[in-house]
Amino acid sequence: MPESLVSVLGKLYDEYVHSTPKKLKIIDAYLVYVLLTGIIQFVYCALVGTFPFNSFLSGFISTVGTFVLGVCLRLQVNPLNKSDFSGISPERAFADFVFAHVILHLVVVNFIG
Amino acid sequence: MKTLEMANHLSVTLLFAVVVVGQALTPSTFLTTLDQNRLKSVFEAAHPFTDVTNAHYGILGLSLLGSTVPNAQEACKNINSNVDKTSIASLYHASSAAKHLTGCKLNVGDVQSLLEGAIKSDGDVVNIFHAVFALKNLGLKVDNKKTLQTLEEALKKDDSALSYGYSFQIAAELSGSKFFDHIEDVIAQADEVDDKYLQFEGGLYVTSFIIDSAYKLGTKLNKAPTISADKVIKFSNYFLTRKHIHQLRAAAYFLSAIKTLADNKFHVPLAVTLASPVAVSKSQPVVQVRVTNLMGGSLGSLKVVADNAKNIGEGSVVLNKKPFTENSKDKSLFELNMLDSKPAKGFYEISISATPSKTDKRLLGTTGAIVKIKVTTTVSLEGVEIGVADKDQTSVPRSTNLQYPKRSANVLEADFHQKIVMKFKLLDKTTSQSLSAHQTFVRFTNQKTKQEIIFVAESDSSNLNKFELDVGARGKDFGFQSGQYGMELIIGDPVIENPISWTMADVKLTFQEGQAKTKPSTNQYSKKPEIQHQFNKPEKRPPAVVSLAFSGLVLLPVLILFILWIKLGVNISNFPVSLSAIGFHVCLAAIFGLYYCYWTQLNMFQTLRWLGILAVPTFLFGNRLLSGLASKRKTV
Repeated sequence: MPESLVSVLGKLYDEYVHSTPKKLKIIDAYLVYVLLTGIIQFVYCALVGTFPFNSFLSGFISTVGTFVLGVCLRLQVNPLNKSDFSGISPERAFADFVFAHVILHLVVVNFIG
Repeated sequence: MKTLEMANHLSVTLLFAVVVVGQALTPSTFLTTLDQNRLKSVFEAAHPFTDVTNAHYGILGLSLLGSTVPNAQEACKNINSNVDKTSIASLYHASSAAKHLTGCKLNVGDVQSLLEGAIKSDGDVVNIFHAVFALKNLGLKVDNKKTLQTLEEALKKDDSALSYGYSFQIAAELSGSKFFDHIEDVIAQADEVDDKYLQFEGGLYVTSFIIDSAYKLGTKLNKAPTISADKVIKFSNYFLTRKHIHQLRAAAYFLSAIKTLADNKFHVPLAVTLASPVAVSKSQPVVQVRVTNLMGGSLGSLKVVADNAKNIGEGSVVLNKKPFTENSKDKSLFELNMLDSKPAKGFYEISISATPSKTDKRLLGTTGAIVKIKVTTTVSLEGVEIGVADKDQTSVPRSTNLQYPKRSANVLEADFHQKIVMKFKLLDKTTSQSLSAHQTFVRFTNQKTKQEIIFVAESDSSNLNKFELDVGARGKDFGFQSGQYGMELIIGDPVIENPISWTMADVKLTFQEGQAKTKPSTNQYSKKPEIQHQFNKPEKRPPAVVSLAFSGLVLLPVLILFILWIKLGVNISNFPVSLSAIGFHVCLAAIFGLYYCYWTQLNMFQTLRWLGILAVPTFLFGNRLLSGLASKRKTV
């Protein structure tokens, strides 16, 4: 059983490394980074407490929002999803991503206190 | 058949009872000499009559009371100098006042046309009233027929009850028989209060004026005014509740109405008044009632009977159809020895009826008059025992018998393991039966501090009063103040003639040591400490090291990001070196720099202004850069 699991995981990894476009890998790396940051924030909150609550909340909103926006970007840029987003070029998607970030962080900074 | 008959009898009896109850309205007070003197002082206070209105009512009141007006000459002069010869009301009041003063002549010149001019159909009825009586008082001519016709016209517009009252007076003066029929309608307008009183809207003046006028008209026409007997009694009751009136006008007409009701040809309501003290006892066994008219005048020879006397509360009836005897000195005073029928102590309602020996149809309220009395009794204290027992009842309590009113010779001693037990019984001296009193208290008085502590001695079903003082448990009530106390028994009741307050014994109480806590006496009106505002206490922060460590930890994934990107082989050299690319990135960096400033120093509005400025180049550069990239991708 563990052998098959290992083999399945290995196959999955190989598939990912070989067939995923480089652009998407870059975005994936970005998502991993955001995810790790969010996890560390959460660990801090669990261990120490949420005392400056708005600071914690704005930081956490920032990571969650960023992660969601990243996922959206990845969906729109992925050539496999081209049929779903026919009118949206990767550049357009990136512009949206940047715009959404500007708005999101205005709110986050407003809330940070 | 027989049962039916009985049922009929029963219903008749019930009906009779209802009628009797419904008639229990007979006035229980009258205008005593005291009341008349008070009214007299009200009228005399109007002296020296500088105002013709006050002069009129004051002099009218005094003449109704049959007393002379002080300084009649001066009063006459005052009226003459104060009368306004152009005002109808002033002429009316001045002439009426002058009429009641002997030898007073009012000099007002020729006012005939002025007064006649006021008798017009589109004016107020009160003006016609003033004008007619001014003319009559001044001995001037009045056209009876024309005036009565005009009055009838005027009443169509001005049809208040008081206006009808004025019209009755005018009709009585000018013999206008037509107006008599209105009496019934006007009386029907009176409001009933508590099923006991009848009054007109407007109060005492209006009510007494209308009733007085109605009887004046009736007397003139020699016809009884159409007012039913119970209504007359209800009006009388209303008048008598207001006998303390201090207002001059209302007082004058109130007196006039009472005098009319006390003596007229048609209706004379009786007043049945209790003349003896409310309490009836062995030393004072006679109930006296006064049966008079409303002015306190005698009604001639009467036969007064106590129909029954009912105990309020228990409902038992103690006497039946017992005649009162006439007092030998006072014809209106009637007496009955209440104790002959051996009533138990308590409150009683005696229902009284009076019948004149010569039939007199004028008398109203001759049955069902109610007089309230109470029968009191003397009590004696029997079987008084006092003793000290152990709390746990192991030993038989030693008790001593006491005799009222002697004080126990020796001092009782009790400590907190013991209790004081006291028993007594109250005996009604007249019936030798035990009874319970409303108030039975035991009072302890500290002989040093004079502090008093009062307890209730409850009685059980057999009327044995028992009082127990658990010294240990009750210590708090005494403030744990050990020492010598006086023990006093207090007994009182409204039907007990001889209330008892007896210091029966001295007791020495010992409370548990160390409990003698005295509360610090505080003045509850003294200044309270000032309240300082307190801010929320800041929550505990984690040590700075932990926070810093996590700050570092949060930055760590950035490193991972770069490592991953480098491993993936990000192509940075492909960065297009163009104005738009550099401008776009600079602008983005500027926006995030602005956010940092917003966090540290700027406010929302400044931030939005700067953001608006930065947004334009960012958009232009970004648009150009990205469309450039897109077209490049398409061409490749």
